[in-house]
This record gives sequence, C-alpha cells and structure tokens, in this order.
Amino acid sequence: MSAQRVVASAWRSLARSKARSFFMMLGVIVGIAALTALASVGEATRQETLRQFKRMLGTFDTLTIRPGAGSTRGMPSLGSVEPSLKFPDGPAIAAGVPGVKRVALVQQAFDLDVSYRDATTVPLVLGVSPNWADVRGESVASGAHLSEEDDRSLARVTVIGADVARVLFQGEDPLGKVIRIADVPFQVKGVMASRGAGPGGASLDNMLVVPVSTASKRLFNRDYLTTLVVQLNDANASDRVAEDVRALLRERHRIIPPAQDDFTVGSPRATLAQISKVGTTLSKVVTGVAVIATLIGGAVIMSLMLIGVSERRREIGVRRAVGATRADVMRQFLVEATLISALGGAIGILIGAGGATVGALLQKLPPAYMWSMIGGAVALSVAVGIVFGLYPAWKAANVDPIEALRS
Amino acid sequence: MIEANHLSRTYQRGDGTPVTALRDVTFTIAAGEFVVIRGASGSGKSSLLNILGCLDTPSSGRYRLAGEDVSVLPDDERSHVRSRRIGFVFQSFNLLPRATAVENVELPALYTGAAPDRARARKLLERVGLAERAEHFATELSGGEQQRVAIARALMNDPPVLLADEPTGNLDSAAGESVMQLFTSLHEGGRTIVLVTHDEQVASFADREILIRDGVVASDTVRRERSPA
Repeated sequence: MSAQRVVASAWRSLARSKARSFFMMLGVIVGIAALTALASVGEATRQETLRQFKRMLGTFDTLTIRPGAGSTRGMPSLGSVEPSLKFPDGPAIAAGVPGVKRVALVQQAFDLDVSYRDATTVPLVLGVSPNWADVRGESVASGAHLSEEDDRSLARVTVIGADVARVLFQGEDPLGKVIRIADVPFQVKGVMASRGAGPGGASLDNMLVVPVSTASKRLFNRDYLTTLVVQLNDANASDRVAEDVRALLRERHRIIPPAQDDFTVGSPRATLAQISKVGTTLSKVVTGVAVIATLIGGAVIMSLMLIGVSERRREIGVRRAVGATRADVMRQFLVEATLISALGGAIGILIGAGGATVGALLQKLPPAYMWSMIGGAVALSVAVGIVFGLYPAWKAANVDPIEALRS
Repeated sequence: MIEANHLSRTYQRGDGTPVTALRDVTFTIAAGEFVVIRGASGSGKSSLLNILGCLDTPSSGRYRLAGEDVSVLPDDERSHVRSRRIGFVFQSFNLLPRATAVENVELPALYTGAAPDRARARKLLERVGLAERAEHFATELSGGEQQRVAIARALMNDPPVLLADEPTGNLDSAAGESVMQLFTSLHEGGRTIVLVTHDEQVASFADREILIRDGVVASDTVRRERSPA
C-alpha cells in the first residue's frame, strides 16, 4: 500500500468514529496545549523581565560598584551602607583603568519627604554626577539635565521623575517651581522622560535627581557614595575591567590580603545571566509537567487503541483474508495512532498559542511564542503516537484471522 | 488448480491433548470446477477450508494451488497468495460496517500495490446487480445485498479461485437462491468455485460433491459433467 493510501485509509477510519477519535486525542490536546501555553507565557514573562531590568539598569555596558563586601540585597541607602566608597574613587577609576569611558557618582536615599505646597511624596532621591544621564542614556521630557556648573556651584536644582511631577504638581508645569526635599528648597530644572516599569512591575519614575555635590553637602552631609557606575568602552571587556577596578580600589583603600574587599563590583550582564537561568529553570519544570500530561495522553491513546483492536478483530480478520500481511495491519494501526496524536498535537498547539496570546494580552504584555518549544511539541505528539501505538498495532497484527472470522 | 495431498490437521487442546480435525485428505480440483465440500458441523470442513484458503497450514501433507506448494510458505507470502489467487465469501458477509459498498469491494486492491481502481469496483457492483447501492454503507444493505457486495469484493483482484463458507447460511431462501445463481453464472464464466456447506439444497448447484465426515473424505461424487467453459 502506498503511504498516501495508508494515511487516507487511516483518516477515513478515524473520521468515521469521531467521538472515539476525539477522546483519544483529548489527552494529547490537553498536554500539548499546556506545553505550548505555559512555554509561551513563560517566554513572554521572561522577555518582559529582561526588558524591565534593562529599563532599570539603563545600559548593559556598565559595572556597578557598591560599598561593603558581598552582594547587598535590596536597594542601598546612604544610612545603611558602609562609608567605604569615597568621592575621589570615581575620578581615580576613570583616570587609572583602561577601557573605562566615564564614571558616574551616586548617593541615594529613599526615606526623604519631598513636598510642594500641600502635596508630599517619598520618592527615591539620587545625588548624581552630571554625567549620570549620559551613562544611563536618560532623557528629559522638558527642561534640562543637571550640568557641570550645577555641580560645581552646589546649586539647589533638581530634575524630577514623571511620577513625582504628577503627584506634586497635578498638571501644573513644574519647571522653575521650588520643591522642598527634607525641608531644603530645590528649584525644578527638568522633568525626566518616563522610564516605565522595572522588575516586578514597579514604576521607575518615582524618583528625582540633584547634583551629587549639593546632595552630599546640603542634603545628606555624607562624604561617601552608595554607588559608582562605571561605563565601559567595550561591554565585552567587563571581566577584565572589573578586575582592574578591584585592584585599584583595594590599593586606594589600603586593603592587604587576607583582608576582604570593602566594596563589591557587580555587572548587569551577570545579573541578566542569572535572570535567564531562573527563566530556564522555570520553563524546565513547566515543560516536565506538560510532557507528563502528554505521556498520559499517549497512555489514553494506547488503552483506547487496545479496546479498538479487540472491537475490530473481525475487520482485521477480513483484511488479512483479502491479502493484508501482518505488516500491513501493523502499519494501519500505527498510522492511525500517529495521526490521532499528531492531530491532537496540532489542535493543542492552536489552543495553547491562542491561550498564551489571550494571557499575554490580559497581562498587557506583547505575546511571545517559544518556537523551539512548539517544534518540540509537534515532535513529541508524533513520537507519542508512534510509541503508544506500537503495542496496540502489534496486537492487531497478531490477531489470528481464523479466530477473528469464526462465527 | 487445487491439489490436496494427504492433508492432516491436528490441534492442541487446552489441556495439551491433540485433536485431529483432518486425516489424510486427498483430492484434486481442476480449473473451472464448481465443487461443494459438504459435511456436518465438526466434520473438519472448516479446517479444510482454512487450509485451502491459505489462512492455515496443514500439520502434514502437501497443498498445491495453481501448481505452487503453498503449504510451506511463510505467513506474509500466504497473504500475497490470498491476495492474488483467492476470493473469500463468508457466511456472515464480513463487510466493513463503516465503509460504503464500493469501498468494501475495493478493499482487496489495497493490498496488491496496484493503483486504486474505483471504476473496476463499480463495474463489479454492477455485475452483482448493486450499481445503485455503491455509496450505501454496509449496514444499510439487506443480507442478500451484503452477500452480493461480498462476492463483488471476492472478485476485485480477479482471483482464479472463489472460496465460499456457507454463503447462504444467513439468508432467507429467495436471497440464498439469487446468491447461488450468481455463483453459477461465475462458474459458467470459468471461475473455480469451492463452496463449503452442510445444506444439500445448496450442494445441488455444484457439479461435484466431496463429503467430509470425521475428518476424512467419505465420498467424492460427480453430480453432472462439467459444462464446457
């Protein structure tokens, strides 16, 4: 029998018992739909997480240096960090380490009241060097960024985030107005362009920046930093530059082995790799569950096929009598099982991809499909049909035609 | 066409004791003969038919079909012999219930490797007087019609030999009569027909009757001279 006729004949056989065919498919449909949907939702979420981190970090070609040994959890604040990272460390790195483009200095706190008339908010307050906006690629929606002159003259000026502008000014134009940061008056010089949501979906716009020199002398009265942001000429050199920066800082801080570093050099790339790995672990678990569901679907196919074989003994007998070989019968049942399973897989993929699209749109995320997983789902459903069809097909091939035709 | 030489068939019972269904059966059937094998239930006629139809092999003895010793062939080669040389007609028709009449007729052609030939299937249905029933499902046909579809199916691959097992056993006398007339006309067309029955009425249509009793040939009678082919 030609392959085309085998498939056509199997198709007819399935089409004529639609209810049974549907139930045979059901397990595979559910399994593959789950596999496709979960993988696609997982992929959409992972891509969104990456986008959020990218928005928070600004660029990937940077190193972040924080005071204290070991990675600090959560956001560092001036009140809680070691006073080990000093202002001159920044220029020293910029001058002393090859491959460094510029170094931004940051002092941050998130417990200061900021008010304008009756409105008050508690945003993230950043004292930053004038090059900070360039390092991060931030732009202003209106007004201007902080300047070198602002920094030199300890100007009480600020550039505020979109959320702060909205909460304090409620539609009023903030430019030129004076707000009070921890009761110190600052004039609004600019409003930053919205940065959207960061990790966890929290807004990145609930913040304001002031010149770091002003912050240190007039706001915090502290001579140390919470962060140094080192921008590289070449993102691929980050490991080497990180090592050089570390050596330089150890020397400047007079740290002699075996003493530990009193600072930590972090790289966004490492953080991103971590996130991707978390995503991978999650999708592995999800995949495992869905694969098990699909295998259960295969077991359903096998048991219904076995019932089918005993119900169709007479048909098998007739086919053998008119000239079908054992191999012909085996092939027929195997193709039926594979067709059922592949069809179930195709329906499952449609349902799963549809579900993932709806799910992503409900979460207001751009839908993403994990094509490798969908390809895998197709292969899996075909393989399930073959593997779980094998035993029933073998049973069918070994039906004794004499027995089957008796009575 | 058919040469049975000292055919014996022994089965193992469940408890291991052997049961002899056929013992030393010898006869020859020439091409174009219409032969009835008659016997009571349990006489061994079904065992004989299974061997003649290449569904089973003898425990001893030789069976030659169209000059070829088919008693020693492996399973899949016997399938090919059934496909090309033998058309089966059963007591219970054995049509595929979920297939139409014309699809049932076509069935044997599926296993020949030849291109599908629906036109031939339709012509055969016409030959058995069921042209207008071609698209009906087997379950929508009467018993007599189902048996005529089954005969058309047996003819699909144009085999030299038709083997029929109680073909009228499930039919009323009018339908049985029309089926027997169909066999008669196929016989007149030159086909070799071997028909197994316990019914003397049916046996009267054949040229020759082989009576089986207790697994042996009890008598072999020519009822009338062969009509010229």
